Amino acid sequence: MNTTADPRDGASAPQPADRIDGRRLRSERTRRLIIEAYMALVRETGTMPTAVQIAERAGYSVRSIFERFPDLTALRIAVTDHAIAEARGYGALRDLDADRPARIRSQVEQRGRTCERWLPLWRVLSSENEQSPDLHQRIRMIRQLSVMRMEMMFRPELSTTSDDVRKKTMLALEALLDFESWARMRELYDLSFEQASTVWSKAIERLLPPTPAVA
Amino acid sequence: MTGAVPAPTVDGRRQRSERTRQLIIEAYLALLRTKPRIPTSSEIAERAGYSVRSVFERFPDLLSLRIAATDYAVALGSAQAPLRHTDADRPTRIHSQVGTRAQVCEGWLPLWRALNANCGESAELKARIALIREAIRTRLGIMYGPELSTLDGRRRQHTLIALEAITDFESWARMREDNGLSVEQACAVWITAIDRLLPPTPAA
Repeated sequence: MNTTADPRDGASAPQPADRIDGRRLRSERTRRLIIEAYMALVRETGTMPTAVQIAERAGYSVRSIFERFPDLTALRIAVTDHAIAEARGYGALRDLDADRPARIRSQVEQRGRTCERWLPLWRVLSSENEQSPDLHQRIRMIRQLSVMRMEMMFRPELSTTSDDVRKKTMLALEALLDFESWARMRELYDLSFEQASTVWSKAIERLLPPTPAVA
Repeated sequence: MTGAVPAPTVDGRRQRSERTRQLIIEAYLALLRTKPRIPTSSEIAERAGYSVRSVFERFPDLLSLRIAATDYAVALGSAQAPLRHTDADRPTRIHSQVGTRAQVCEGWLPLWRALNANCGESAELKARIALIREAIRTRLGIMYGPELSTLDGRRRQHTLIALEAITDFESWARMREDNGLSVEQACAVWITAIDRLLPPTPAA
C-alpha cells in the first residue's frame, strides 16, 4: 500500500490539526443543535423533554446526546448557559440616561420581551433546580442579573434613598417583574403585551422613589 | 343470632378509615415541608405508619392524594386566616393583611410549590390553583376596598394584579430564602410596597 501523499494534493491536503479542528467544529455544531432542540421542545410543550424526543428533534441518536452530555442535568445546565448568553446579548441596556418615563418604558419592554421568550424554559428549569446545585446557582445568577439591570435603570431614583428603602424597593420591583407575574397577566387575565406592560409601568411608577432634580 | 344492630361497628370502621386517610394526607404534607420534592408512595406510607397498600386503598393514585391534600390545606388555611380589621384604618388593614398572608406563605409554600410543579397533567389541580388565586384576589379586594373603590374598573384590576404579584408565594420565598430576611423584615417590605401601590384612602 502506498502511503505517500499524492503531490497533486499539495497544500489542500488536510493536515492532522485541520482534521482535529474540523472534528471539533462538527462536535460543537452537534452540541449546539442538541441545545437548540431542547429549547424548541420546551417552548412547544412547556414540559421537560426526554432524551428520545431531543435526539429525534435534533436529528441525532440518543447516544450522540450522551456522548456530549453525561446526563440530562448536564444538558439542562448547558441549555441554561446558552440561554443566559443569548438573553444578555438580546437585552442590552438602553435609555440609561433618559428621563424617568422613558427608562421605565424601556425596562418594562425589555423585561416583557424576555418573559415572552424565556417563560417556558424558566418554568422547566426552575421546577427542577432544587435537584442540582449547579442549576440552582444559575437560577440565582439569572435573578441577580435581572436585579442588577433594574438597579442600573433606576439608579437616579435609588441613589437618593437609604439602604433600607433601596433594598425594600428592589425586592418589590423584583417580585413585580417576575416571570410568573408576567405569565399571570398574559395567560390568566388574558392581557395583551401592551396592557401587561401598562400594569407594570404604572406599578413601577408608584414603587419608585421620586427622581432627583438634575443639578 | 340475636339480630343486633351492626351500625356502631360500621361507624367505627368508617371513623378508622377516615382517620387513616387523614394521617396519610398529613404525612404527605409533612414530607413536603421537610423535602422540596413530591414524596413517593413508600415515603408517605412509612411516614404515616401504614403500608403502601393502605395508601392506595384510600387514594386510587398519587394525584388523588395530592388533590385531597390540597383541599385539606385550603380548608385549614382558610380557617387559620379569617378576615380581620376590614373596617379599620389603612395602616391597620395593611398590617393585618400582610400578617395573614405571611403566615399563609410560611405555612403553605412547600405545598404551593408541589402543587404548581407538574400541575399541567391535571385539570383538577389547575382548577384548585385558580381557586386559591381567586381567593387571594378576593381577599385583597375586600381588605383594600376603600382605596380600590376610588378607581375605575381597569385601574382597579391593574392595581390588584400588581398587589397580587408583590405578595405572591415566590416573592415571600425570595425574601426569606434568597435574601435571608426575617418574617418581620419581609413583612416590612410588603407593607411599604402595598402602601405605595394603593391609591389614597378616601375620606370617611
